[in-house]
Amino acid sequence: MRKTTRRDIFKFAAGSAAGLVFTPAPWRLITDTALWSENWPGIPRPARGQTRTRFTHCALCSAGCAVRARCVNDQPVSLSGLAGSPLCAFGLAGHQLPYHTGRVKTGAIEEALAAIAQRRSHDAVAVLDLRPGRTASWTYRRAMAALPRGFYLAAQSAIPAVNLDQVRTLLSFGAPVLDGWGTPSTVLAARSHFRLIQAEPLESHTAMLADLWLPLRKGSEQALALGIAHVLMQEQNAGASFPAEATAYSPARTAQLTGLPEAQIVSVARELAPGGALVLASQEWPEILQLNRLLGSVAHTIVGRRETPVPASWKKAAPVTAIEAVPDGSIGVLLIDESVCDGYLPWNAIEPKLAPAPLVVTFASSRAGYGRYARFTLPTAVYPEMTDDIPPALDSAAATFRLATPLVAAPAGAVEPARFIAQLAGLPPADALRERTDAIQSSGRGVLRTYADGKSIPVKGVKPDDFWKVLNEGGCWVDAPDPVEPPASACQSSSAAVVAMTWEMRLARGPMSPLLSKLYEESNLRVRL
Amino acid sequence: MDRQLIARGVRRCSTPQFLLWILPWAALFAFGLYCAGLCLVKGLNQTNMDNRFAFGLWIFVDLTIIALGAGAFFTGFLLYILKLKDLDAVINSAVVIGFVCYSGAVAALLVDVGQPLRAWFTFWYPNVHSMLTEVTFCITCYLAVLLIEYLPIVLRNRKLREVPGFLVFEFELHKLIYVLAGVGTFLSFFHQGSLGGLFGVLRGHPFAFREGLAVWPSTFFLFILSAAAVGPSFILFTTWLISKLSGKRLVRPQVLQLLGRISGLLLGVYVLAKTVDTLIWINRTSPGAGFPAQEYFAWQPFGTWILFAEIVVFGLAPALILLTPRLRLRTNWLVSAAVLACLGVALNRFVMTLQTLALPTLSFDRYLSYWPSWQETGTFLAVVAFGVLVYSFSFRYLLLFPQEREFRQEPAAQVSETAVMDPVGRS
Amino acid sequence: MTGKRYGMSIDIDRCTGCGACMVACAVENNVPPAPEGATDRKGITWMRVFPVDNGRDGPDRKSVFVPMLCQQCGQDAPCVSVCPQQAVQVDPATGIVGQMPERCLGCRYCMAACPYHARYFNWWDPAWPAGMEKTLNPNVAPRMRGVVEKCNFCHGRWHAAKERAVGRGAREIDPADYVPACVEACPTAAIRFGDLNDPRSPVAQAAQQSGSFRLLEKLGTEPKIYYHSAREWVREIGRAPAGKEQVHG
Repeated sequence: MRKTTRRDIFKFAAGSAAGLVFTPAPWRLITDTALWSENWPGIPRPARGQTRTRFTHCALCSAGCAVRARCVNDQPVSLSGLAGSPLCAFGLAGHQLPYHTGRVKTGAIEEALAAIAQRRSHDAVAVLDLRPGRTASWTYRRAMAALPRGFYLAAQSAIPAVNLDQVRTLLSFGAPVLDGWGTPSTVLAARSHFRLIQAEPLESHTAMLADLWLPLRKGSEQALALGIAHVLMQEQNAGASFPAEATAYSPARTAQLTGLPEAQIVSVARELAPGGALVLASQEWPEILQLNRLLGSVAHTIVGRRETPVPASWKKAAPVTAIEAVPDGSIGVLLIDESVCDGYLPWNAIEPKLAPAPLVVTFASSRAGYGRYARFTLPTAVYPEMTDDIPPALDSAAATFRLATPLVAAPAGAVEPARFIAQLAGLPPADALRERTDAIQSSGRGVLRTYADGKSIPVKGVKPDDFWKVLNEGGCWVDAPDPVEPPASACQSSSAAVVAMTWEMRLARGPMSPLLSKLYEESNLRVRL
Repeated sequence: MDRQLIARGVRRCSTPQFLLWILPWAALFAFGLYCAGLCLVKGLNQTNMDNRFAFGLWIFVDLTIIALGAGAFFTGFLLYILKLKDLDAVINSAVVIGFVCYSGAVAALLVDVGQPLRAWFTFWYPNVHSMLTEVTFCITCYLAVLLIEYLPIVLRNRKLREVPGFLVFEFELHKLIYVLAGVGTFLSFFHQGSLGGLFGVLRGHPFAFREGLAVWPSTFFLFILSAAAVGPSFILFTTWLISKLSGKRLVRPQVLQLLGRISGLLLGVYVLAKTVDTLIWINRTSPGAGFPAQEYFAWQPFGTWILFAEIVVFGLAPALILLTPRLRLRTNWLVSAAVLACLGVALNRFVMTLQTLALPTLSFDRYLSYWPSWQETGTFLAVVAFGVLVYSFSFRYLLLFPQEREFRQEPAAQVSETAVMDPVGRS
Repeated sequence: MTGKRYGMSIDIDRCTGCGACMVACAVENNVPPAPEGATDRKGITWMRVFPVDNGRDGPDRKSVFVPMLCQQCGQDAPCVSVCPQQAVQVDPATGIVGQMPERCLGCRYCMAACPYHARYFNWWDPAWPAGMEKTLNPNVAPRMRGVVEKCNFCHGRWHAAKERAVGRGAREIDPADYVPACVEACPTAAIRFGDLNDPRSPVAQAAQQSGSFRLLEKLGTEPKIYYHSAREWVREIGRAPAGKEQVHG
């Protein structure tokens, strides 16, 4: 036999290589790599399955827009509004919130319970509610009434309604009127019949879209309010209710302070016809509140609203205490419900009220809020996992009752703040929402709207069980129109209605869908944030 | 072993010296491969390209080195088709340079695309209307041609000649060289043109868009012309540079002068054509698309100076120098003009690729700037290092400049004594 | 073949810049959240709202929002002819310029060709936070890294509408069944959608009304997105840029 030489090996290798090209193998391999590039590991494949439409209400803000959810295998894959009631950018991505990477998923629930139990008998306990007016808020008030020393603190005072239909001129001091204030559908529907004047140093979205933008100097909002009041007092002789200091703000001086032309200040003041004007602000400036009073907005554009019925047995509830009214250094245990958020109290307003070594427990889905001051952060369900009701929107003159029902299950370990606090205070275990809806139904007031068929039927003819069912499956209760005079306190509390939370505040408070942050990062739409 | 591979009749530096030269380039190459690997594994987010700057450093470099590598086909065309026998002295080097430029460009392109595994789709689902299809087809085919042209040079290596089969193969291949030169010339003309067409067809960017003949915009022809013009200049410059680096006479001065003259002639024609083209573009094409041409130059830093630099400083000036016989005789002038011409083509490719993308097309667009990331730069450097390495090895082991041997037989002043005593280049 | 020519009309005067269209689009089309390092130049925003001003300062300053998406060029779309492997094609039945991600090589030539910068490259592997992949729309396949994508008028919705039509035994899809996500989400109904070949469709009518304009009309790409504004300076944005700005962007 011939000996195999190195050359033979080379020949064999070269021959094999050449021969391989004529087999299907390399071509198959090329096709396979291309296929592989389509199904790259890590590219998720969307689940397929039964598609279903479900309804709920968006719990992200108190506008509480109706939501039509497209669900595949009970998982919402997209949200949209109903005809004539669109969702905002926040709401459209709401179904992604449960998957936020910054979400708080675990908390020391048992330890928190034990720690509270230890202190509640001898310490004052307070609940801070960031969305007052809910059924849960009633539970907190009842729970605080059951405790020896309980306070119920609300981040906002009782909210009167804004009747946008009556507004002819809207003067906004930096309030994001067209950018997250009120209910989008209501604001946009009313937009065609009011003139919007935006006084704001920066060109915000609302400033861009306003009929008139007053680019005043930063921090000169109050000066402008006083300057306008000055003109109004002089021209309408209506200065009785206004502070004397306005007299010092002549148009000339106001122009100097704000950097706006004198003639413009006068003309803006003249545009604010009494009765059809509304003044909004991004902060609680008393001057601006008084401007509303001066213009007679209260009872015209700022109106009172009846309360949504509550069971008679709930009347034994703690009053709403203003944070200023709480004695300094008194609160030993502070429980904060951050699961939903419409307004908030700055920590420097809360801190002096706390006793030494306070126990702060916050119920939240993110640590972006009060979490950094709290000993315990207990995880909560987020929209759209939670079961909660949404207080009437500030631009709804009628009382409403709407439920945010879960579209997906809350993770194990999530705490229901209302149930937790009720248990803590020893309230009898009951489904508060069901009790409330029964109370509404038995009042016989108003109509029940069903989203699936778009019908409205009087509550009178609806059975309690059906009423409950409709509210859970997509519907809302709207009170009968019953214009009542605004309560005497409305002037005082109307600040809540006219102070609007801006995007900056919202973003600072809670997480938003990662997709939403992406879109704002990757476009320069919100570059001014 | 190393010495046995070196061509007979030429002298090369010592092995350690060679290794010392190779090492930094090899290190750079390795670093560049790492960078390219990052881009391939992690994706193109490693680069600073973005949705507006969809093309960046790589495409600019590809277009430039392909234009410079045009020396290979054009010298082949002049030598084999037009029978300019003097160019025999540089044809081997030109082929190696062409091979280096094209393979480097193709490698960079493979990193540049988002899905390199699908590179063959272009052949499978070709869109005949796309200039890029033309480019891909021609470059791939021409790279194959270059490989075949490179092969005989490799096979003539002293050691490889010992295999009789290789010798026969090489001999047979050489008979084909005219066919190859012809095919290569056609392919090259075509894809140089397609590369120009790549930008000339961009209707959406009136800064780049040009009218033309049939399906080809004027840039198609301008790219052919400019590539043909600077190809010889680049051969001239590299031959001079290698001669300087190696300290050896490689070709007769007349060869360089001939390259210079050809380059100058074509550059002159190119400058004329480019001027006419620019005037048509400024006065008709661009305003016709709604874009007054003067607006392009209002975006700093790319003022009208860039147009002036491209046509006059790097076009007309080297053309005039190269066309002046007196200046051609002086190596400094000759080489400087060649370098200017090469820079000019680079500038032209820069303008066509990057300035086109930097300029806004919508009224609310911003003017954008772009700077390559280190991974991008590293990949580019890998292409450079790859070129230097391939050329260094080729120069050492293959006979790139046949005249070099003749200089060895007629010892001139430049040839040192040691070299005479040491014919195998042991020194 | 009925030969539809789908198009859009966008009323700039009604756009409030809320971004609902952008979100609805990204949710519908399974666009992943931003990876670390994504910027406005590397992101994927099929629909992107640009704030545009008149270039003045002080009281004369005026701004509007301009929603930008693929302009669905109707005449020799610049991106179609440049693609080397036919990954970009116009559907003759709908006139929609489609992008096939499975065919795309990622050469980005189409992006360089597009005068509207409406094409986006997947610079990163698509990735969702744990669990969020459950919210993906089953009608749209997520794209892989290294390919180009853009607005296709919600092709998934077109497909679903087609299926519904077939289910009904109808030849044509019901216009109410096929509404792209951005159109559906726009709270002010600034975006409308329909068949430009149907003279009764609101879009065809909007395209004809005065104050209607298209972007870079002189390029001759015949975009099928019609913008509208009653204001003269807003209509100017459809023209070529003026190099007034002397600084880097």
